[in-house]
Amino acid sequence: MSPQESLSENDFQRLFAMEAEGRLDTLVDELLELEKGGATPEVVASLFREAHTIKGGAAVVGMPHVARVAHALEDLLEEVRRERRGVDTALIDAVLAGVDAIRTLIPLAVAGQEHEKVAFDAEQRLRIAVGGPPVVDDKAAAGPDVTAPAAAPGATPSVRASAAPDVTVPAPSAAAPPPVAPAAPPPAPAREHHAGDGSVEAHGAADGAAGHAEPARATATEMLQIPVHRIDELVRLIGEASAATLRLGSALLERLERDPSGLTEYRDLVRSLNELQELALHARMIPVMSLAPRLRRAVRDLARETGKEVRFETRGDDAEIDRGVLERLADPLLHLVRNAVDHGVESADERRQKGKPAEGTIRLHAMQLGSEVVIAVSDDGRGIDVARVRETAGRTDRSAIEMDDEAALYLIFRSGLTTATKVTGVSGRGVGLDAVRASLNAVRGRIEVRSDPGMGTEFRIAVPITMATLRCLVIKAGGQAFAIPLHSVRAVLPSQPSATVGGRAMTMLDGRPVPISSLSAVLGTGNGAVGPAVVLAGLTRSHAFTVDDLVDQRDVVVKGLGELVPRLPAVAGAGVQPDGSILLVLEAAGLIERARRMDNGDRSQEAAGGGGHEEPVPHRAASILVVDDALTVRELQRSIFENAGYRVRVAVNGEEALAEISHERPDLVLTDVQMPRMDGFELTEAIRKQPSLASLPVIILTSRGSDEDRRRGLECGADGYIVKSGFDQSALLSAVERLLGEDR
Amino acid sequence: MAGASTPRVVLGQLALLIPVGSDTYAVSLETVREVVVDPRVTKLPTSPAVVRGVFNLRGDIVPLLDTGLLLGLRPVMEEPYAVLVETPHGTAGLVATDMPLTVRLNESVGHSDIEGTTETYLVADARLAVALDIPVLLSPGRISQ
Repeated sequence: MSPQESLSENDFQRLFAMEAEGRLDTLVDELLELEKGGATPEVVASLFREAHTIKGGAAVVGMPHVARVAHALEDLLEEVRRERRGVDTALIDAVLAGVDAIRTLIPLAVAGQEHEKVAFDAEQRLRIAVGGPPVVDDKAAAGPDVTAPAAAPGATPSVRASAAPDVTVPAPSAAAPPPVAPAAPPPAPAREHHAGDGSVEAHGAADGAAGHAEPARATATEMLQIPVHRIDELVRLIGEASAATLRLGSALLERLERDPSGLTEYRDLVRSLNELQELALHARMIPVMSLAPRLRRAVRDLARETGKEVRFETRGDDAEIDRGVLERLADPLLHLVRNAVDHGVESADERRQKGKPAEGTIRLHAMQLGSEVVIAVSDDGRGIDVARVRETAGRTDRSAIEMDDEAALYLIFRSGLTTATKVTGVSGRGVGLDAVRASLNAVRGRIEVRSDPGMGTEFRIAVPITMATLRCLVIKAGGQAFAIPLHSVRAVLPSQPSATVGGRAMTMLDGRPVPISSLSAVLGTGNGAVGPAVVLAGLTRSHAFTVDDLVDQRDVVVKGLGELVPRLPAVAGAGVQPDGSILLVLEAAGLIERARRMDNGDRSQEAAGGGGHEEPVPHRAASILVVDDALTVRELQRSIFENAGYRVRVAVNGEEALAEISHERPDLVLTDVQMPRMDGFELTEAIRKQPSLASLPVIILTSRGSDEDRRRGLECGADGYIVKSGFDQSALLSAVERLLGEDR
Repeated sequence: MAGASTPRVVLGQLALLIPVGSDTYAVSLETVREVVVDPRVTKLPTSPAVVRGVFNLRGDIVPLLDTGLLLGLRPVMEEPYAVLVETPHGTAGLVATDMPLTVRLNESVGHSDIEGTTETYLVADARLAVALDIPVLLSPGRISQ
């Protein structure tokens, strides 16, 4: 049995691919802004930053060709930023060609392929464009002749056609221009999923039935418009055929005493049916962002109604999800964005007084992580007033008063709770978030919330992409068989002793400590087990579980447990086995959370009992603040450090990092350089200016390897300077350990 | 609401009697899909005690519920029969500790105060049967309590 080994690296590549897609969209949007004559320093700086962030992320996840093109892009934009080069058609075209090249290279890199020529051509073109005309008078540069696409490569008109803010160039391979005239939107299949909002906004052309990875965008004649109910019927019939095959298998076993798994014909049939089911399920997948026009419309209408200025941004256009699941998400997401406008974003005046831009931003970000799609709705508004939530809930439930901030924050999902002082047409009625949670339960989804007072709120929804077949590892615990989706299995360890560190049982994986628990104890079905351990990876953490025995690997058609069974975070669903028995499929994130809570409970009980024995000095896990505006880098670092046993907090720019530090001093800060609002150099300087933080170790991690930058980093007081292109997990960990060792 | 369209037990109607320990309950025959003898139950760890587990009904996964605990009474000790009832939220099995029988109900002899039940009926052998209000008894909110 071989657990998936390089899974995490590829996961990060895919995460980066999604993030880069969003950044490239922003880049193209801003480029068009530039072309329209909006060459403000802010737009140019933002363009530069997007290119820079893509370069850094690509280097970190091991996509050198992407990094190379992004580097050339960054250099070209740097010339514009330093006003050494003006904006003209050649520049716009070169940048667009660079964007197209990156869009081609990323999926190739994810698939483990390279395309030297694409990278080389784009890089050459960008380098040549550096030698363009000098800066001329702004207004002249933005003259009408500039916007004429001239003899531009096909990419230009296609992008221009999709300049509406939420229209994105279809992922992942926009390298080939669409064969149809850009003026007319391409025929969009399965259009009914974004009907109903009255919106006329065009959407990603490749969405719907044929929207999965293809070498080039399908032409109109390769697309077929199919009524959704036909696909649903197809999926249903395949499901029935699979079930009938399973029954046939058990009949063979019972009546003829032939084990069907030994029959080649039976195995072929099962395999073909599985493939058929996978294909049919894929045909039902649609992009999460097909909901975006409806949400954008809701944001715009409500902003107008409440007199607020709100911008709606989307990221992650290639995240796809089963149509049935997405339909159930429409209302919860609508609730969340409306709440964000009504409760989250402040009025323009209030925002100005707080030193924020008058216009608030609401972001919808979707990404695929393993078998789940994570959808985040965030705003940069006032955040949730936890004290008020606690007080309001405390009027009817005294236990709420005792809750810590995190627990109290989750009280907002209780039925009937509202802190809004007046009831508006939108919110403040105390209905909504509990309904959101209930709708998510129905699709086996879960919701998390994070809120920073004054900075904003983020709701994260995680839902299974589909209730499809999952490759699972089957184990036995407490005498019962369970399936664990293979994508969440990091490793399988032979039976081995564990050590207790700080009251928590730990084992070692790749030289790093990982908490370990007995699976049957966590599930409440038995006590300890002495068998092998399965190391599971959740969204952010890993945890090892001892089991009685490993059984085998198999494909499980995962079904929900129905509406009548309450949502069980540790159980993802169940599958019917050929012998008619039911195999429960466990959910890694829920199991890890349960194990952690039990572990913490045990330890607080121990502490309350005054534990008669001397513990070895409890070594409090050191906390690290990771500051980076790139989601991929942040999550990668979070995973590296959490797996190494550190506590990790994150911030997306220098300003947010300072707020985090004043809230709770971390033991070390690891920061990127290029970030919006306050960059890494400014952050380091700001830290050093505060006497109480003078000894706080700061490491700068950047893709800028120039001597000048390195000098600047050390001059402003950083303790270490690590270049991302030479990024190496163990080097980073040892640098951190060294600095923490000195500090503690 | 869901309850309006779901048949309840009324006079003269056919009902299925569900023996649970020393008590007997009645459900309208129209809500009953079938009775399964000796269901093969898979335990559902971390679920509330009222969910005894899930079982396979020709490829569908159906929860088996403890009829005693659902009514706030004593839990059942075994599960020799499962009475499958249709609810607005899907099919569920109710544990019967003895063979369920079909009867035609006489006039109600009084109202039952147990939540999730309606009337009390006198049935054969001078036994009393309490009629279950399936939509109320089998709501997701009640089960997760």
